[in-house]
Amino acid sequence: MRVKVISRSTDEFTRERSQDLQRVFRNFDPNLRPQEKAVEYVRALNAAKLEKIFARPFVGAMDGHIDAVSCMAKNPNHLKGIFSGSMDGDVRLWDLATRRTVRQFPGHQGAVRGLTVSTDGQILVSCGTDCTLRLWKVPVDTIMESDYGSDNSSQPLAVHVWKNAFWGVDHQWDGDLFATAGAQVDIWNHNRSQPVNSFEWGKDTVTSIRFNPGEPNLLATSASDRSISIYDLRLSTPARKVIMRTKTNSIAWNPMEPMNFTAANDDGSCYSYDVRKLNEAKCVHKDHVSSVMDIDYSPTGREFVTGSYDRSVRIFQYNGGHSREMYHTKRMQRVFCVKFSCDASYIISGSDDTNLRLWKAKASEQLGVILPREKKKHEYLEAVKNRYKHLSEIKRIIRHRHLPKPIYKATKQIREITDSERRKEERRKAHSAPGSIQNKPLRTRRIVKEVE
Amino acid sequence: MAGMKRKSREGNKGKAAFKKKKNQSSSGGADGRRKRTGPRLPNAMLKELQLPKRYTDSDDDEIGSGDGDDVVVNNDLYEYEEGVAEEESKKNRRFDPVQNYQYELPDDFEDENVPSDEEDGDDDEDGQRGDDDEEEEEDDGRHSRLLQEITGLPTDAFDGKKKKNDVIISEAYSESEYNPSRDILDGDGRISIQDLLDPLHGKPDHGKLRKSMSRMEKKSMPIHAPLPKTDQERLERRAAYDVVQGDVTKWEPHVKRNREAPTIYFDEDKDVGFSTVGAIAAEFEPRSDFEKKIASLFNDHEVVEAHRKDGARLLELNKISVEDVRERQDQLAKMRILLFRHEMKAKRVKKIKSKVYHRLQKKDRLKQAGAAIETDPAAAKEQAMKQEFKRAEERLTLKHKNSSKWAKRILKRGLDVQDEGTRAAIAEQLNQHALLSRKANNMKESSSSEESSDEDDLDETSDGSDQDVAVKLLKKAKDKTAEVLEGDEELPASGVLSLPFMVRGMKRRKDAADEEAKLALEEYESSLKELEDKNKTKTQGTNILTGRRVFGAQKKQAPEPKTKVTSDNYYGDSDSEGETDAREIGIGACEENNFSGREVHFDPNSLREESEIAHDSLFKSFDDVARDPSSKTSYEVSISADDSWKKMNDSSVKRKQTKSSNAKSAISLQVTEPVEIDEDSDTDSGGEMVDGILTSGIKSTYEIPSQEELIRRAFAGDDVEDEFEREKQDALNEEVPEPEKPVLLPGWGQWTSIQKKRGPPSWMLQEHDNAEKKREEALKKRKDANLNHVIISEKRDKKAEKLLTQTLPYPYTSQEVFEQSMRMPIGPESNPATVVPALIRPEVVKRSGIIIKPIQFKEVNPHERARDNKRGGVQNKKGGKSRGKAKTVDQKS
Repeated sequence: MRVKVISRSTDEFTRERSQDLQRVFRNFDPNLRPQEKAVEYVRALNAAKLEKIFARPFVGAMDGHIDAVSCMAKNPNHLKGIFSGSMDGDVRLWDLATRRTVRQFPGHQGAVRGLTVSTDGQILVSCGTDCTLRLWKVPVDTIMESDYGSDNSSQPLAVHVWKNAFWGVDHQWDGDLFATAGAQVDIWNHNRSQPVNSFEWGKDTVTSIRFNPGEPNLLATSASDRSISIYDLRLSTPARKVIMRTKTNSIAWNPMEPMNFTAANDDGSCYSYDVRKLNEAKCVHKDHVSSVMDIDYSPTGREFVTGSYDRSVRIFQYNGGHSREMYHTKRMQRVFCVKFSCDASYIISGSDDTNLRLWKAKASEQLGVILPREKKKHEYLEAVKNRYKHLSEIKRIIRHRHLPKPIYKATKQIREITDSERRKEERRKAHSAPGSIQNKPLRTRRIVKEVE
Repeated sequence: MAGMKRKSREGNKGKAAFKKKKNQSSSGGADGRRKRTGPRLPNAMLKELQLPKRYTDSDDDEIGSGDGDDVVVNNDLYEYEEGVAEEESKKNRRFDPVQNYQYELPDDFEDENVPSDEEDGDDDEDGQRGDDDEEEEEDDGRHSRLLQEITGLPTDAFDGKKKKNDVIISEAYSESEYNPSRDILDGDGRISIQDLLDPLHGKPDHGKLRKSMSRMEKKSMPIHAPLPKTDQERLERRAAYDVVQGDVTKWEPHVKRNREAPTIYFDEDKDVGFSTVGAIAAEFEPRSDFEKKIASLFNDHEVVEAHRKDGARLLELNKISVEDVRERQDQLAKMRILLFRHEMKAKRVKKIKSKVYHRLQKKDRLKQAGAAIETDPAAAKEQAMKQEFKRAEERLTLKHKNSSKWAKRILKRGLDVQDEGTRAAIAEQLNQHALLSRKANNMKESSSSEESSDEDDLDETSDGSDQDVAVKLLKKAKDKTAEVLEGDEELPASGVLSLPFMVRGMKRRKDAADEEAKLALEEYESSLKELEDKNKTKTQGTNILTGRRVFGAQKKQAPEPKTKVTSDNYYGDSDSEGETDAREIGIGACEENNFSGREVHFDPNSLREESEIAHDSLFKSFDDVARDPSSKTSYEVSISADDSWKKMNDSSVKRKQTKSSNAKSAISLQVTEPVEIDEDSDTDSGGEMVDGILTSGIKSTYEIPSQEELIRRAFAGDDVEDEFEREKQDALNEEVPEPEKPVLLPGWGQWTSIQKKRGPPSWMLQEHDNAEKKREEALKKRKDANLNHVIISEKRDKKAEKLLTQTLPYPYTSQEVFEQSMRMPIGPESNPATVVPALIRPEVVKRSGIIIKPIQFKEVNPHERARDNKRGGVQNKKGGKSRGKAKTVDQKS
């Protein structure tokens, strides 16, 4: 008689080290685990709740300016440094790690309205309402780290006085040109005291300007005539202009999709446009209750951050109609400028209360070194949460936010207003001849016209 | 300062007056006036030269300049002298009515010193000025000398200019539409080329100039005025925008790829194993032959030694004979020249515009390709592939089957209305379609051609009576076999087939075939004989047996061909394959007739005569057939009969059944089915035929059953309503279960017989009653309580509800896809460890501390991209590395 025994090789079950995991053999037959889906649902629910619990987005504030922070610039070549300019003409370089001022760049007599850094991170350009444009040499990091106490201020490389006040400046990606906004759009070179090119289309002041990082010759501006204009440097002529109902405060190009940009509008919404089809917005991002002051895309191109006059910072998906995250603190006042850090993990906001604030881009993200197992666990929870996010309970938990009272009230009010408008529109439509009232889609509702 | 200003203003006025004056004076002759607007010398030069002033002072015609730019004849002396007088004269006029408007001259105006037109004309012709005083001449001489010195041109080149100088006009404002020049105001004051040429008369190159001018005049084209600036700018902007759009569009594939990728990666692997190229190179080990060879060269002691110093010694090692070099150079030169010639030829050919030429070229090319196909199997294969692809495409798109908008429109409007060309085009398209979609036959052309000829024959025979068909076929088959037997194939005289062993083999084969043919021939003959006998007896029999029906049978001979024809057309249109199948069956039946003579009775006539109602009779006949021992063949015959009578169109189904029908019961079952199908599908086309048959003579016996009757018969077997009711009852019982009958556990309460009689206690009964009542109410409350034909399920699992969603979540568009994506759990407990990372990978993989650069342009190969997508591989735009993510994609979608 032959006896069959279960045989297991010891190699498969012996651990090399005591910390190693015990090997487990599983039968993956779904029939054996009928409750697996329910189990995952519960995990997703718990993950959503844990995310809420661990949501601590605020990292720290950087205090030092004595007036409102009007503009910021990130160094494309260096993660830790961020430049900020304030309304009193103060320009500072901050070290994000220590959250201290590393260097000051004194000289501006009026408000600093624009800051930008060249792609190689060597030259800082600042401009302001005192009609001057200043070029500075960015100190290298060795100095930054060691003695910021001794030589705290630096001299500009060049000062160009121009005939009008500046409203903004932006540097071309991988080039030595930068553009200023003011009475007209001027294109400057590092080495010249006069602009190499000027664009003027209409007589209105250009209030913001942004180069396309993917397509370095493309340039978008917004002007006080409520318009957004597209320029091409090679053709030395403006290309297209679209006029909206309200003013656009700032523009950001999607760094991963060179055809798309998003405009931060005065009506509290952001509008994503495709350069090729300016007659309608591709997406309307609503949530702010007051005008959006600044916008910046994450370097991944998947989301962007906005700062608003309603004292909040929000993060939107590039294709999402509503924000996925909303940051606020009690002491943060009107936000004038926001930036995504170059590694897409932090957000910096500058506000009226003279402070710069550093936030995490993902509120509940764990900082510091994460072990692989831990990381895998996080990924799994995230995936499960993402998988069941359409279920009502999980959706509710993920969406829930505690809003400051003014924003909450304003949101409610706005909802009421839009509802009543919608009702009115419906009634008007119902009582007029069929087809006489066309319902304009939201994406084109705020666009007045496209100018050739 | 004020004085100066006034003076200048007056100067303007004076200038205007002067203009007018000139106009007046020049009204006599146009030539003279034109001269005055010739080229002028710069102001400074004039000043320096102290050109003489030719105008005397008067109150109104002082020449001055408001703008410093214009040419002025300035003489300090004059200005000064005049200044006083002018001031005096004009002082009070500021508020006085203006007497001398710009283009009016005062009546008392008198031109004193301006040279008359005649004089000017004289001057021009003479080339010198007769009426000037000596001083002026002296000045002129100085002037021209100076010019000569400056420009280096001969003196007489400036002679013309000199004249202009003394009639200089200054204009206060530059010319514009608000301040037109004098010439324009005059209307006809244009300067012609001729005027400019005149002063050069007699100069060395004048003739040449004039000639070229006349040539130019002949070919002169009007030049359009430029567009307004706003329009120009708009056009520019539009062009710029077009360029921008084009520029941006090139990113589309990148963006699309990124968006569609399940994951994009931004974590460049910083810690690659090797930090430097040197480190990588040090690890390199030669494996292949080539690598080994190269490595041996590299490690060659001599070479290394030579390289070590300064590399100069490497040259010594590099020995090549002069011949080799020369040969190589020659070869290269030859190749270059050939290439160049080819290029030139291609260029020349490309430039030829003649359509005829290109047509011929194309023809040649096609011919060549055809030749290549014949000779080269690879080319033939390629060609076949191409052709096949075209056909497949055609079958897919039906591009040429009048499906285009244009064709539809044409057809809608009617083909008759169209002109020749359009009709031809439509015909051509259809032709194209037919060509492209025909395909399959072409593959086995050789075999099908014979079949088609058979078919043709059959068509011919079918015109006659059905009885003859079999006979004719048999005869034909006999003939053919005889032909084969007799027709000796000519043995090839040359080639492979003429080899002795081949000849032997062929002969052997032929012999075998002949044997077979003989056998077949005998069979044919015997069967033919039998058939003829049967026919005789049968016709006799019918004539005798059916007195009344003889008439019908005879009469039927005439109309039947007609119905045949129509039905043929019908099937020819719809499904030629089915038709041929049916025919084949017929043929097969005829061929096999010799095995069972009985089936011949089942020809259409006899069938019809037997039948009262069409399909009933059919059933009967089929049943008969089924009962027949030689079931297979007889069944086939009966079907062929059916074919000729009812034209079944589902013959393929039947054929299948004939193949499989062996058992009796199976046959009877299968037979009924197709007939039913026929009944359904043939209602429209078969109706006519039934009519036709009816008129042909079965009027008295046949009645069409009503529609309801037909339906009732068709669904006679199934009791749907009962079934549904049962189903509904089941559903209700499941959702609102009936209360259990009050049962006592065995042994409980059974102490005595009395208790047993009493049955279950009253409370139990009451409970049961209550439960019953409750159930009744629940049933009444249901939504489908009053709907007899509906079941509305109210089954709901509250526990499972939270796992279900009411609406389809956003990116999904179909429920199936969504459910499929949610089917499997993604956790490590239910998936192998190898796939879990792929399943739970986030959409964006990045690492904090690594700077993410914006997108950079890289050429994308669309095919590669497609493959990548299929694989689910994602290429990182920065690193350009791709990772296989097949599992993710498979699992998720």
